Amino acid sequence: MNFSSNDTDDMLSETVRRFATEELRPKLREFEARRSVARDVQERFESLGLAAIDLPEALGGVGLGLSSRVLVNRILAEADAGAALALDRFGPAAYVIETFGGSDLLERYRDLLASRPETRLALLIDVDAGTVLEGPVRGEAAWIASGNADVLVCLRRDGAWVMESGFELEQARGAALHATGASRIRYGGAPAHVWRDSTLAAQAWAKVRLYHAALIWGVLVDAAGFSRRYALERVAFGKPIAHHQALAFLIVDMEIAVERVGLLIADAARLIDAGMDGTGAAASAFVDAVEASRFVGPNAVQILGGHGFMRDYPVEKAMRDSRALGLLAGGTDAAQDDAGAALAPANPMEFAA
Amino acid sequence: MSGFSAALRAHIERAREWGRNEVRPAGLEADRNAAPLPADHPYFAKFVDFRRRHPSPAEDDTISEGSAVRMAVLNEENAYWDRGMGVAAPGPGLPAAIVAALGTPEQRERFLGPFRGAKEPRWGSFALTEPGGGSDTAAFRTRAIRTDRGYVLRGSKCFIGNAARADWVLIQANLDPEKGRAGQRAFFVEHGNPGMTGIKIEKKMGLRAYESVSFILEDCEVPHENLLGGEQPARTSQSSAYGATMGSLNTTRVGVAASAVGLARSAYDETLDIAKQSGSIKSARVRDRLEAMRRRLRAAWLMTLRAAWKADEKIPNIVDASMAKVFAAETAHELATVGMEIVGLEAGAGDCLVEKLFRDAKALNIVEGTGQIQRIIIARNLVGLPR
Repeated sequence: MNFSSNDTDDMLSETVRRFATEELRPKLREFEARRSVARDVQERFESLGLAAIDLPEALGGVGLGLSSRVLVNRILAEADAGAALALDRFGPAAYVIETFGGSDLLERYRDLLASRPETRLALLIDVDAGTVLEGPVRGEAAWIASGNADVLVCLRRDGAWVMESGFELEQARGAALHATGASRIRYGGAPAHVWRDSTLAAQAWAKVRLYHAALIWGVLVDAAGFSRRYALERVAFGKPIAHHQALAFLIVDMEIAVERVGLLIADAARLIDAGMDGTGAAASAFVDAVEASRFVGPNAVQILGGHGFMRDYPVEKAMRDSRALGLLAGGTDAAQDDAGAALAPANPMEFAA
Repeated sequence: MSGFSAALRAHIERAREWGRNEVRPAGLEADRNAAPLPADHPYFAKFVDFRRRHPSPAEDDTISEGSAVRMAVLNEENAYWDRGMGVAAPGPGLPAAIVAALGTPEQRERFLGPFRGAKEPRWGSFALTEPGGGSDTAAFRTRAIRTDRGYVLRGSKCFIGNAARADWVLIQANLDPEKGRAGQRAFFVEHGNPGMTGIKIEKKMGLRAYESVSFILEDCEVPHENLLGGEQPARTSQSSAYGATMGSLNTTRVGVAASAVGLARSAYDETLDIAKQSGSIKSARVRDRLEAMRRRLRAAWLMTLRAAWKADEKIPNIVDASMAKVFAAETAHELATVGMEIVGLEAGAGDCLVEKLFRDAKALNIVEGTGQIQRIIIARNLVGLPR
């Protein structure tokens, strides 16, 4: 049993941390205003290899597992979760492509992304899809967390499809995560690829959930940390507000909530990296992240009082971003269903070998 | 993080079998009798025999895990079967580590020696808590006064585990009140000392299997050689009784956290079994609640193991230990509470394990530093909360 991080992840963390601190955090509101991340920042991100950390080495990726991906997402989201989504042009859609289409298809879309710097894949989770998967598909979604998309990937409980044309995006205002843009999407056409396999769908979904849970985790790490530091500086009734026990205890409970989310996410990622069934654990970790976001996000604002409500401070953004992230990856109710369905078999005290 | 070593797993398996066959029935018997099992109950003789045949994991050098992780894993398993019986187990108990670290060679031999290879059940005990102060150890009022013949102890102690049946109770008392905490030392008071009076075995809501004892120290005389660590003045705060107590809590908190996890797992397993049998698990609402229980249990266990692992790796674990302690204790309470709701009316009938665990669990957020104290400790480290 070992809780220490390995050298690869330590180096990776340092690289991501430096990038996030220097390139993302200072431009937080700038990205929000322009609804995208500046081209030079995008290029720097890709030149550092951060776009391809969990792509196989044979495809020019770094070949690291999901454990490394959740680490990277957390650190990026500590700076700006919207930017983290914007920077990853392949995004969690890569998990669907890889799970169903294998490395050949993954390679094809990697080449597409490499050839056109503005290209992105958008991922849609169709939780309530009916059973028919043959022929043209038609539908709409009120929000995808992207301002543009060249390929639409849809994950359903019973399979997945990929559409390269036949869909249109309409710019949306977006409630949060502004750096990545927001769109309404309408689709109607024949998918380029259709797969029907609910086991594979569950496997891909587990990764998609952890990808998003890690972003929530990062936002909460930042919200808890920022409000804690603020509470040490802000003085009321003659002492830092952090030294009033009501706030000290709140700060501690926020820290505990963030810690438990992190442990559950890392645990589920480790299970999946070890080749074990991590679908239930990933769904649980996602639910936990969303529950923690309901507690930590608003309380970070609360600690800052009136200032927290103002856009001068990043905690209002953390509250909105973490709330919005919880709507992605199929949402909490679906995750709760899957987590509940996975209740019986595994022993909660066992560990990945 | 990989799994546990085969050697440790073997210990877990043995503890599981022992727990299922012996500990659980004995714990239920004590709970139904609403009284601790008497010292001459056959369980204790069996326990001593079991320990003679199977040395504790602490003494097994084929285990690759460090001592804190071993303790956490075994505490978890033991508490799964009955936390109260774990405290009632014969042996020198909590003060063993303190005596081993701070006792003179003569004291180690005299007070710990009889436990080595003992054929009969015998107990040691440690008395810290007082009626007027539990968490505020610096405010304790029990005094020790040096005389020509030794020391006279005056004061009172309460909720002391196994104190009425123990061969000796290690009692915290202040020898030099002007020095505050630094004046605190510990004294061995042997069984039958006439100065230890008013012995009362408390009646408890839960954890009924072990005796919690309150008593008065009425001019309780002990010889000079009963002062832990000997008569030379304390060299550093570390060698004072206060320092020893506080120093030992970093791993004991983890131990209590692990016990809380074991109790929580017990509540979860029992609730899940009942939900499966009754068919209520088919209800999404019930399943969601069970999932939330399981998730919380898992997080508490990971938090506890990490705190233990850090202790073994000599990585500072003050925050981790306190966080694990408060989170695991509140998890145990939460799981038993929600478990009772899932079980329904059966949980009100008086013979439901989950209901017993609900009563047992509450203590875990009180002993070894209440949940509030743990939050204060964490806040001191996170935001420098002043003392």
